Amino acid sequence: MTQHSSRSKPLQTLIGVGIVVLAGLLAWGASSVSSEAGYGGVGPNFLPWVVSAVLLICGILCVVHALTGGFRDLEEGSGDERAHWKGFVWVSAGLLLNALLITTLGFILSCALCFVLSVRGFKSSEGELDLRLNAWIKDSAIGIAVAAPVYWMFTQLLAINLPGLTNTGWL
Amino acid sequence: MDTLNLLLQGFITAATPINLLWAFVGCMIGTAVGVLPGIGPAVAVAMLLPITVKVEATASMIFFGGIYYGAMYGGSTTSILLNTPGEAGSMVTAMEGNKMAKNGRAGAALATAAIGSFVAGTIATVLVTFFAPLVAEYAVRLGPPEYFMLMVLAFTTVSAVLGKSTLRGMVALFVGLAMGLIGIDQITGQARYTAGVPELMDGIEVVLIAVGLFAVGEALYNVMYEGRVDETQNRLTSTHMTKEEWKRSWPAWLRATFIGFPFGTVPAGGSEIPTFLSYAAEKKLSKHKEEFGTTGAIEGVAGPEAANNAAITATLIPLLTLGIPTSNTTAILLGAFQNYGIQPGPQLFDTNGALVWALIASMYIGNVMLLILNLPLVGLWVKLLNIPKSYLYAGILVFSTLGVYGMRQSAFDLVLLYAIGLLGVVMRRFDFPAAPVVVGMILGPLAEAQMRNAVSIGEGKWSIFFERPGSLTLMVIVVAVLIIPRVLRRWAARKAAAEAGTAPA
Repeated sequence: MTQHSSRSKPLQTLIGVGIVVLAGLLAWGASSVSSEAGYGGVGPNFLPWVVSAVLLICGILCVVHALTGGFRDLEEGSGDERAHWKGFVWVSAGLLLNALLITTLGFILSCALCFVLSVRGFKSSEGELDLRLNAWIKDSAIGIAVAAPVYWMFTQLLAINLPGLTNTGWL
Repeated sequence: MDTLNLLLQGFITAATPINLLWAFVGCMIGTAVGVLPGIGPAVAVAMLLPITVKVEATASMIFFGGIYYGAMYGGSTTSILLNTPGEAGSMVTAMEGNKMAKNGRAGAALATAAIGSFVAGTIATVLVTFFAPLVAEYAVRLGPPEYFMLMVLAFTTVSAVLGKSTLRGMVALFVGLAMGLIGIDQITGQARYTAGVPELMDGIEVVLIAVGLFAVGEALYNVMYEGRVDETQNRLTSTHMTKEEWKRSWPAWLRATFIGFPFGTVPAGGSEIPTFLSYAAEKKLSKHKEEFGTTGAIEGVAGPEAANNAAITATLIPLLTLGIPTSNTTAILLGAFQNYGIQPGPQLFDTNGALVWALIASMYIGNVMLLILNLPLVGLWVKLLNIPKSYLYAGILVFSTLGVYGMRQSAFDLVLLYAIGLLGVVMRRFDFPAAPVVVGMILGPLAEAQMRNAVSIGEGKWSIFFERPGSLTLMVIVVAVLIIPRVLRRWAARKAAAEAGTAPA
């Protein structure tokens, strides 16, 4: 029986440290905001300082909790004790390639690619990764069948700007 | 009589064929969203927010409203058949309803949930109709100090009450507030935290945060941790209730409506408290106590489901009259109003009366539509559950892209969306509540403006918050919300310890 990853002391400490670092970044940013307050007496840098101070306290408390018996009242995240990284890489690739290619490939093809790669990821985490050509073709077809009507509805009916592969508005 | 006239006007607007169509499509999408695991109403509305560019305000509000309550109806279906509550409010329904379904009474559980939702939704809408204008009338008299304290109250309750740990709730809230700081300061026009990135000058869209945390985060969490989780589905039976079941259901519906409604109206948010209260009340009053937690008691489904719906409907009061969102979905709805340049608040009933009354009227219509969509057609909705998980989540990711990219046509936003999705995974894994992030982000800038206005009114003195009775009262409530649960917990622990001490070892 391995320990649930959300109970891991190093990970919890890391999160606490992350919050402290975030507080530090916010404070650094706050120092460059002017304190010019006009009539009010409270300038635009007031809330940034409050937020960074509270986050600093919270972050330190999280670290203390992590080191002394772990986060309090923690409800373990559902599912497996360990992450399935292979599936995560597939889905991440789908999302990031989509961001990279959407303006060049257009909405339909780029989203279909994201769809296909995400399906690979979920299948992989279910232990049924299917890399045969047939499955790629089938999922690409489904991906296009999902993205294309959405694209047409939003660009043709609602006149919302989405990038296309051509300028016709139909692809 | 005036209210009735205005409501009648609302019905005339809401009942035009095109608006009826929007309401119907909204209810359909809402029910589907409720049934499908992985997306909630907040995300569905967020993904469809780009339509605000083209569709006029009344129609899109009716549409979003339909999604909002449709999701509540659909959510009970999944809870009862799969025992996977989509959101906190349906947790109790899942407990008791799933027990009933395991014993072959899925149909009766679904029926009491749907009819109970209808009864509670309709009564709550009547209450909204008559109370909202009164609240708005009173709210006009609130000044910046009172407004600011009201928002602090919303922050406190949303971060301290939701989730088990106040510390993690506070972290979530302040991360949300930090996100809200990015962009141009509303009062002095200064850029804050933009790091020279032009995309950040306008601030981060709420849609991006909501879709990132809830849709992309959910998908990534699922692929990382839940790939091998198998869900077993209960068999669907006929949605027919016996005379005995009707007799046991209706008092529960009514009691729960009046438990749920007040919780929705206070800027506190969260439908889990009223659903648990209603469950506890039904368990105490029931003549069939032995069925609770064993074979499943119908009151235990009827009450919480009605309480949930009443609370959800009531959240429209603080949203429309004060401009304060108390749930994720109302936060997104506030964003939708803002896209039209409409600021919900006490003046909304005067400046956009036609829209508000059409929205309220469409809630009556929507409740009837949902009852029809859900009782006879429940078998159809259940078929949605046969979509393989891999396709479902891949589809959700495509729609997330649509919602986020459609807002600003920026590929930078898609990278940001992925980053927020990662944040969502960490938060979910380590039990940080997500709702305070969204509420903090959207309410933060409004609260900051009120606070600075209040201090200017007080000529730079913070004592303004103590000197005005309204704001002082609210401050006392805030302190009470923070302290009372702790005192109660400590008291209960001490009592338990004392009992354990006196008991023979």
